[in-house]
Amino acid sequence: MQEAATGIVFTPLDWVWTIMLILLMIVCGVIFYRLGKRSESDFFLAGRGLPWWLPATSVYATHTATDTPMWITGAIYQCGARGIWYPFFAAWTAISAFVSTRIFRRSLAMSQAEWQNLRYSGLGAELLRGWLAGWQTFMNMFVLAWVSAAMGKICVYLFGWPNWLGVVLFTSVCAVYVLVAGYWGVIMADFQQGVISFLVITLVSCWGVYVAGGPLGIVSKLADLGESWRMNPFHFDGFWGLDSGSFYAMDFITLLIMSTVGGLGMGNFIDWYPEAQRIQSAKSVRDASYSIWAGGFVSLIRNSIWAVAILAFFVLYPNIQSEAEYEMGWFRLGFEYLPAGLIGIFFAGIIAIHLSTVSTHLNLGSLYATRDLYHHYINPEATQEQLVKVGRWNTLFLLIGSFVLGLTMQSITSWLIFALWLQAAGIWIPSILQVVWWRFNSWAYLSSWIANLVMSWLVVWVLPELGLLPDLPNWVNFWLLAGLVALVYIPVTFMTKPDDRDHLVRYYAMARPLGFWRPVHEDAVKKGLIGS
Amino acid sequence: MEIFKKNWTAAEADRWTVHDLLASLFGVVAFLLVTVGVIGAFLLQVWGFVCVAVALLLAWLMYRIIDPKLRAMSDAFEARQAEYLDDLEKTVRWEERSGT
Repeated sequence: MQEAATGIVFTPLDWVWTIMLILLMIVCGVIFYRLGKRSESDFFLAGRGLPWWLPATSVYATHTATDTPMWITGAIYQCGARGIWYPFFAAWTAISAFVSTRIFRRSLAMSQAEWQNLRYSGLGAELLRGWLAGWQTFMNMFVLAWVSAAMGKICVYLFGWPNWLGVVLFTSVCAVYVLVAGYWGVIMADFQQGVISFLVITLVSCWGVYVAGGPLGIVSKLADLGESWRMNPFHFDGFWGLDSGSFYAMDFITLLIMSTVGGLGMGNFIDWYPEAQRIQSAKSVRDASYSIWAGGFVSLIRNSIWAVAILAFFVLYPNIQSEAEYEMGWFRLGFEYLPAGLIGIFFAGIIAIHLSTVSTHLNLGSLYATRDLYHHYINPEATQEQLVKVGRWNTLFLLIGSFVLGLTMQSITSWLIFALWLQAAGIWIPSILQVVWWRFNSWAYLSSWIANLVMSWLVVWVLPELGLLPDLPNWVNFWLLAGLVALVYIPVTFMTKPDDRDHLVRYYAMARPLGFWRPVHEDAVKKGLIGS
Repeated sequence: MEIFKKNWTAAEADRWTVHDLLASLFGVVAFLLVTVGVIGAFLLQVWGFVCVAVALLLAWLMYRIIDPKLRAMSDAFEARQAEYLDDLEKTVRWEERSGT
């Protein structure tokens, strides 16, 4: 038996469960070796032939990372059930399933960077493709580093291992099947990892509720503590206000609009990029739509199950002040209260959560580096064999890069927050406009990215630091950035020429986008590409 | 317009219609209700079970409304996918586009 610094005991039965489930996950991926090596399309999209439930499970599994229970726990412990609106951004899949998912699937672009080449034309399109490819290669390495660092922390907490061991060990295990089987390995392993992780999340959360006195026990204890408001997801500190520590109805409304209307666009959420890969791997438009919808639906159910478990944790430990301490709440429910024998299953569930995220980002980062950088710019004549080989080398490059980043993560945590800002507010509207408005061109979209970079840096970091801008609540920051960036891309749109009309007509006939496309639609009809 | 229309031609399915709007709307409300409802249901609150039940009902209605349209659209598109993929390779080719 092994006893960790925290007093958590791993019996031989726990290790048997852990090792068996790890082996199952690896074998599940590796056996698809032959399919993965057939072509670039197989290595990155499983040949575009998957039924909806496979990418759906992958959507859910990928977005259940080791750091997810930490930050959802933080939000719920701090804000009560209303904190559930922070991770509600997964709801972008509700509208996307029937709008942007459909349009993207019909474009057949292998990646979002390639889609820029289909939607826009000329030098602007190439600049956008190059920028997104480079950015996504880096971001995937960054996310890998981030989740590996979280795994490192869990292993330090559990076993007292040195940090580097937790960062490197399980991510390397995952790299085995991603390297040999590509996306086929990712998707097949994701399926069983998704099922395992959902069952484990439900098991641990229900156990936590039971330990805290059962559902009605939690309700009465919250009442005794004078904290019944924590059960109400619609408990706000007024309609609106400027206190950054409060949660206003405007926070909820902003999150609701951002997450749902955002489904009209492409690339306005960091999640869009892995989902774009799942969309293209589905065997039909219908399968793509259902996979995105179902993946989002199950993710929201998972969030709510976690929320209840954290209410249970709050009842057990109501006075924790340290964020770092209460963020581990859900893990503590599992490791401190599950009986011997079940702890191994819990740990295997955590590994499943970790592997499903890591495998996706290894393969996705490699997709951008291979398809959008190597194949597009360096060697357009590459054979399928060469492309698969380069895909594997890029996977290895991402793996090693993520270790270097992951081991220095403590000092660069704030950069991730900055990166997320950069991804969100300022380009939220342009990412919708590029889908729904024919006149929005590549220069406008490019300028919105650059303006967002500058404005978010100023509004979120520099001006508050200099005392020139107060520390604003999130909802104000979002709309302020959206407005400031609009002051740049709207003039740019009208001061630059529209994209080449023939190029737009070809794109329109294939993707059939929603919105303001009348002139392009009329040209497509005249050319006989579509019916009236 | 028939909301539960079963037979769609490919050309009809390609157009954006009220069916897409309803499917999106029902989807959003179902997501909202299931998020709130699961919390309530796990705490054995009546409102939680009601929210989950309405969310499932909306999801079923969404499926009934949109599925025939998606099937028609998918069948027509998949029939031409190989041809579209060939076009795609030509459209995004770096050398041809840059004229080198």
